[in-house]
Amino acid sequence: MDLTTILTAILLLPLGSAVLIALFLRRRGGLAAALSVTVGFLIMALSLDVLLTWNGQDFHVSTEWLRFGTYAFSMGFYFNHQTALMLLVVSFVASWIQLFSVGYMDDDDAKGRFFGGLSIFMFSILGIVLADNLVMLFVFWELVGFSSYMLIAHYYKTDFANMASKKAFIVNRVGDFGFLLGIVWCWNHYGTVNLIELHGKLLGHPELLGTHRAIAIGLLLMCGFIGKSAQFPLQVWLTDAMAGPTPVSALIHAATMVAAGIYFLARVFFLLSPFTLHWIMWSGALMTAFAGLCALGQTDIKKTLAYSTLSHLGYMACAVGLGYPELAMFHLAMHACFKATLFLGSGSVIHACHHEQDIYKMGGLLKKMPLTGITFLLASLANCAIPFFSGGYSKDSIITAAFLKGHTDGSVYFGVYLLVLFGALCTALYTGRLFSVVFLGKARSEDAEHAHESSPFMTIPLVVLGLLSLGGGWAVYGWTWGGHFTGLLPSTCVVVFAQAFKDLQEAAEKSGAATILEVVNLVIALAGLAAAYLFYGRAPAGDPLAAKAPGVYHVLERHGWFDDVYDWYVKQVQQRICDLIGAIDLLLFKFTFGWGSGGLAGLTGSVLRRFQTGSIHAYVYWFLAGVILFWALAIG
Amino acid sequence: MQPGLQAYLTVAGFLFAIGFAGVLLRKNTLVIFMCLELMLTASTLALVAISRFYNSMDGALFVFFIITVAAAEVAVGLAIIVALYRRRHTIQVDELNYLKH
Amino acid sequence: MPAFFFYFFSALTILAALLVVLNRDAVNSAMCMIVALGGVAALFVLLQAYFLAVLQIVVYAGAVMVLFLFIIMLLDPKTRRIPVSEMNMVVGLVALVMLAIGAFWLARQYPTVANLPPVEALPTDAAPLGYATAAKTFGYGLFTRYLLPFEVAGFLLLSAMVGVIVLSKRTPADAHDDPAKPPRK
Repeated sequence: MDLTTILTAILLLPLGSAVLIALFLRRRGGLAAALSVTVGFLIMALSLDVLLTWNGQDFHVSTEWLRFGTYAFSMGFYFNHQTALMLLVVSFVASWIQLFSVGYMDDDDAKGRFFGGLSIFMFSILGIVLADNLVMLFVFWELVGFSSYMLIAHYYKTDFANMASKKAFIVNRVGDFGFLLGIVWCWNHYGTVNLIELHGKLLGHPELLGTHRAIAIGLLLMCGFIGKSAQFPLQVWLTDAMAGPTPVSALIHAATMVAAGIYFLARVFFLLSPFTLHWIMWSGALMTAFAGLCALGQTDIKKTLAYSTLSHLGYMACAVGLGYPELAMFHLAMHACFKATLFLGSGSVIHACHHEQDIYKMGGLLKKMPLTGITFLLASLANCAIPFFSGGYSKDSIITAAFLKGHTDGSVYFGVYLLVLFGALCTALYTGRLFSVVFLGKARSEDAEHAHESSPFMTIPLVVLGLLSLGGGWAVYGWTWGGHFTGLLPSTCVVVFAQAFKDLQEAAEKSGAATILEVVNLVIALAGLAAAYLFYGRAPAGDPLAAKAPGVYHVLERHGWFDDVYDWYVKQVQQRICDLIGAIDLLLFKFTFGWGSGGLAGLTGSVLRRFQTGSIHAYVYWFLAGVILFWALAIG
Repeated sequence: MQPGLQAYLTVAGFLFAIGFAGVLLRKNTLVIFMCLELMLTASTLALVAISRFYNSMDGALFVFFIITVAAAEVAVGLAIIVALYRRRHTIQVDELNYLKH
Repeated sequence: MPAFFFYFFSALTILAALLVVLNRDAVNSAMCMIVALGGVAALFVLLQAYFLAVLQIVVYAGAVMVLFLFIIMLLDPKTRRIPVSEMNMVVGLVALVMLAIGAFWLARQYPTVANLPPVEALPTDAAPLGYATAAKTFGYGLFTRYLLPFEVAGFLLLSAMVGVIVLSKRTPADAHDDPAKPPRK
């Protein structure tokens, strides 16, 4: 089969699965689960087939879909190395998470709806991965937002889930508004939205990016990224999105959807002018530090991991801003592995403790759930960027890049380096805290006492993803085997970042600070972990930070009062404006149409009514008048 | 003096005017109907006169049809008046004013 | 000679028409109407439309007016004697005068033709429907040029017949009414 057919099959299989589930299998949860998982593994197999047999040439195919005069929307596939890596991430991680869901959702009544939502999500994210033009990307962008909305509201009987899903969708929509403006302006300015054509236009003409329009377009396109990847100031939806089931959090809000923003930035990197990249870099670095701090103030295991995700997204954004989209993609892939493992591990723990999510009601689970514990440990170490683990390679390279920027472009950029370093420290702290409180020590509640290892449906994906989070990064050493694999990844996927990684290493060597950087990173990570264990590991029931520094803890817990500010704005400012407009609208329409034209019609009616006298003679007199009138007209 | 076309048309015009006045003045439905027939007759007279003076048969043939239609119309109209009388027990037009607003 | 007959019959017709309008009794009006129709038939004869004259007497005066008389006499005698209301009289007479003037004025537009020679010519190919007195000419016209209206007229009569039968059926509500009682509103 040729590439077009396989890619079309990959894209449309989950759609077919979703349609079948929606039409026939809503009540047959088991069958729906089986169908969805089968389709997921089929997609993984097809993707691996593509990745192992692709010849490395950029592949592009498209067909016209809608035409409005001179404007044409087309749908197509653009397959290059970035696509390859993202396709691997999406298909691989999603399939194992689907398998995990079978175990996690075994006691849920609405399994059919859940797996239908997962299938639709697969369809949407694959559309984003494969899209070749911005309009098609936007369509699938919105579809992904819808899938997220649907899945967050899975437990729709609770108010919190409903509000969270609405919040996620609306905040995304705010970002997408800027995104849409950017797409339209891009079309107007460059004449096309096709990625290949845009790339061709801008290749070799870097001065085109200096105009104000280009800068504005870049900033507007960035709005979409800000909304989808929950960057400042639209990060408020991600923590609430944890109201959805854990597999959803793992798949959508850690591994794939929020990473779609980064993937998008990498795809349109050539459209972003230096000013835009600056902005992205600084906001990413700030986000890293801020989210890392906030994670220390959460007692819900999933919310902690959500802040961790925000922090890592900040890293990826920072990498893009520094001019290394390939490193951002690398970190995206590694992050998908270990964050998915962390979320799935937390899901396993939550399921074992009967849907208890407060970490201070867990404890000592390493003994009771060894597989979960060990995979969680592996992923945590990757999270902290310990060398030799997958996260270590990608995150350290980003920190190195930040340092080099400060080294080459001026000392103000050392601020970026310090921020990301601080973020690394926080990462180590909260990861250590999480692991110590949940898995070490003594059980703090009845449920934790009676926890036991989860079913194979849940542990097998944990093991697979855990191994990847251990060794995913070994590909940078260039060990090829089997003709198609480098490290643990297919060779075609590694091309994206291998060269950039090498270049970065050489630049670091040249500046002479390579070893110091590595040492500093390692020291910070280990110190953070040790401090966390010492501070949190032997705590009895509550959070020691809350006990010892309640002011600080309170700030972290309210995560910077963003939610409160937005609430205030919506309630006091926006609602008042809406009420005012509503009143004007009512007044306008009531006057113009109710009393105006409506009244006029009524008046005319009551006047004309008088003509109906019911007397034949009156009618004949009118007839006579008409005849005389026509006579006069005829005579002239 | 021989009567010309003008004379015949004048007579037809007078008949028409009288019929119209009758429709305006009378309150008995049946008499109104008769005055309508009078108007129709006036038009037939005019048609025949013009047809004769312009040496064409078309007018006379049209009168043929007018008489036919008038007969049918009278039959149906009187049936309606009878049915109306059965309901309202009156044939005075000023009492038949149910369509008044 | 024909001039005298013309003036006589036209005066008769107009007088009878006036009496139709001004008569209090509906039966009298109907009788005057018959006289008026007879006068018009005479005028047709003067115009050498003999067939139409006979048709007028037989169909119009003979059938239609007789039907009128039947209906007038079917209904309550009290309802027959309805006078003209004085209020309307002025307006009606004004209308009458206006219309008459209008009619006279219109008639003046047409040229006068002094004599009326007798007409015997039957239709030929040169003048297919020239005016002729023979009844045959009606046939010529009706069955060639005016065939469609002829058939439609037949259809019209059929539907009129059916309509009259339907309309004159007594509904169950009417069955309980006694025409002698005062009208129900």
